Amino acid sequence: MEPLKNIIIPAIDIIGGKCVRLTKGDYNRIKEYSQSPISVAKQFEEEGAKFLHVIDLDGAKKGETVNLETILAIAKNTNLELQVGGGIRTFESAETLLNNGVAKVIIGTSALEDKRLLKRLITTFGENRIIVSIDVRKGKIATRGWLNESDMGLKVFLESVKEAGVKTIIVTDIEKDGMMNGPNFAMINEFSGNGLNVIVAGGVSSQKDIALLRKNNLAGIIIGKALYEGTVTIQEAQNDLARRIIPCMDMKDGRVVKGTCFKELKDAGDAVELGKLYSDMGADELVFLDISATLENRNTLCGLVEKIAKTINIPFTVGGGVRTVEDIRRLLNAGADKVSIGSAAVKNMDLVREASRTFGNQCIVISVDAKKAENGWKLYIKGGTEETNLEAIEFSRMMEECGAGELLVNSLDRDGTKKGFDIELLKKITDTVKIPVIASSGAGCLQDFLDVLDKAKVDAVLAAGVFHYGDIKIQELKNYLWENNINVNI
Amino acid sequence: MIAIIDYNSGNVGSVKNAVERLGFECIVTANAKMILEAEKVIFPGQGRAGSSMEQMKATGLDKVIKSIKNPFLGICLGMQLLSDFSEEDSTKGLSVIEGSVERLDVDLKVPHIGWNKVSLRKIDPLMKGVQDGSFFYFAHSYYFKAKLQNEVAVTNYGRCFASVVHKDNFYGVQFHPEKSGSSGEQLLNNFLNL
Repeated sequence: MEPLKNIIIPAIDIIGGKCVRLTKGDYNRIKEYSQSPISVAKQFEEEGAKFLHVIDLDGAKKGETVNLETILAIAKNTNLELQVGGGIRTFESAETLLNNGVAKVIIGTSALEDKRLLKRLITTFGENRIIVSIDVRKGKIATRGWLNESDMGLKVFLESVKEAGVKTIIVTDIEKDGMMNGPNFAMINEFSGNGLNVIVAGGVSSQKDIALLRKNNLAGIIIGKALYEGTVTIQEAQNDLARRIIPCMDMKDGRVVKGTCFKELKDAGDAVELGKLYSDMGADELVFLDISATLENRNTLCGLVEKIAKTINIPFTVGGGVRTVEDIRRLLNAGADKVSIGSAAVKNMDLVREASRTFGNQCIVISVDAKKAENGWKLYIKGGTEETNLEAIEFSRMMEECGAGELLVNSLDRDGTKKGFDIELLKKITDTVKIPVIASSGAGCLQDFLDVLDKAKVDAVLAAGVFHYGDIKIQELKNYLWENNINVNI
Repeated sequence: MIAIIDYNSGNVGSVKNAVERLGFECIVTANAKMILEAEKVIFPGQGRAGSSMEQMKATGLDKVIKSIKNPFLGICLGMQLLSDFSEEDSTKGLSVIEGSVERLDVDLKVPHIGWNKVSLRKIDPLMKGVQDGSFFYFAHSYYFKAKLQNEVAVTNYGRCFASVVHKDNFYGVQFHPEKSGSSGEQLLNNFLNL
């Protein structure tokens, strides 16, 4: 087993066989959450956890494992991968745990006091099964169930654990533990980049903390109180999905409409060349919309899709004039990964149902063209030229029901204005459907992208002009979003 | 020769393109003899478990796959069909790698579409040179609940699930390496050079 990146590890602390949390490691400030740590562990597993951090607090105080039965019962009754700590100060106590279903043991105090034990454990069980826990209080290392403080500074200590062959450490700021006011980011920075796998504990209290921690390239994040108090859920915490940045190309008669300003391009209208360039520039996906979309152009489009598919190694969506399941099949066979359906979905909802059944919903994108009306937003078709009697939010919901895999939402009010996305519209839609939503129309500056991702919680952002004309470089946008704590594939 | 199994269930073109971009010759086929003689076999998946499995049974591909001795790579649904059972259409799988395929019953959006991190659980030749925590492109609604010993890498999406599995000569990836930029190319190149 190798140490992992970015794993979420829920924590169970045990006193007297019960599941508790302490505040700042103070044994006088105990809050009991459950009589049964096993049922808590099962609940975590049920919610989607794969790992579990178990601390025998009685053991930590006493200097030997006290709640062994409870710990082994958790190992036996769940498929969780356990890391266990608290009072493991002899070879035998570590051995008992490691030979009875516990994946890793956490050594704290004894690492400081008994280097030979540490080396022996690593030699016997391997570097991946031994974790050293470093509890820090005001910059010093605390030991014995956090009751004492050692004089040793962090740097000296780190060097000595590394020398013993340790690969993974858990760093806990005791002052932050159980306080629910965020981790000590300054301290975490001190630890990262020293060649060890760092797992962080203490103070993680919100989704934002987790987003910030994720940027530190940690091996893992331990969450305790926040899970018990419900300020964070395992499912929310366990989400590394990046938001997507998608350049869009409008095509007519097989050529990109509107020239672009890329000096790199010999022919600004050549979709294959432009697609390859975007792919190399770090686009997460490409969208090609054939705005001429006449029957005679269909063969041109398929031929073009084939050429593009040969060139790029990121997903791409093709749309424009898709009317039948056969149209979709042809585009998919030509190499499109997804097909976007517009007007045809409005006229014939069965098409969406059938397409989703036949090809899987992950490749069916529905284009929603909306325009603000007195009450809500009206749905438009035929490239925004024809009003329907449908309401755009309701239509979005219906499309989800019919089996759409994603929605591509255009705002006719914002399209081409560079005034920012229609956040109100997009938020209404992301609140209504549970499928991914791609925001389109209105991107003008970096902040516009951040706003729509942050406020409307869309899954992807799409733009044409700002990318084509080089106003915004994709990598620049990704760096900006990353700086602002949006998870992107950077 | 590299064989890409075509079982008439969606687009195998992008896998073929990716293999060719890496400089390997390949053939898209459903022919048992060709598949069994190929040095490497890639099994892309798209569409649904039920209809794909029916198609494979009808053509005898199910038995062919089980008897493959050379390196085999299942992609997305192609990985899921290696399992014992899939909740999707209550489909009995090929039982090549133990475990079942379950619906992503998460509080997040499903399908899980986009780029997500792949974290390594162990050293594996398939992941050689792929940086731990690299992003790959996913598009799926079901996940493989594999046995710990067969997990090579995991991904967080509500659940922490197996995104790369390996047993004997059989490899499986939940994401689409053919659509995953340079990381995906590295992985495919590793497989093709096994």
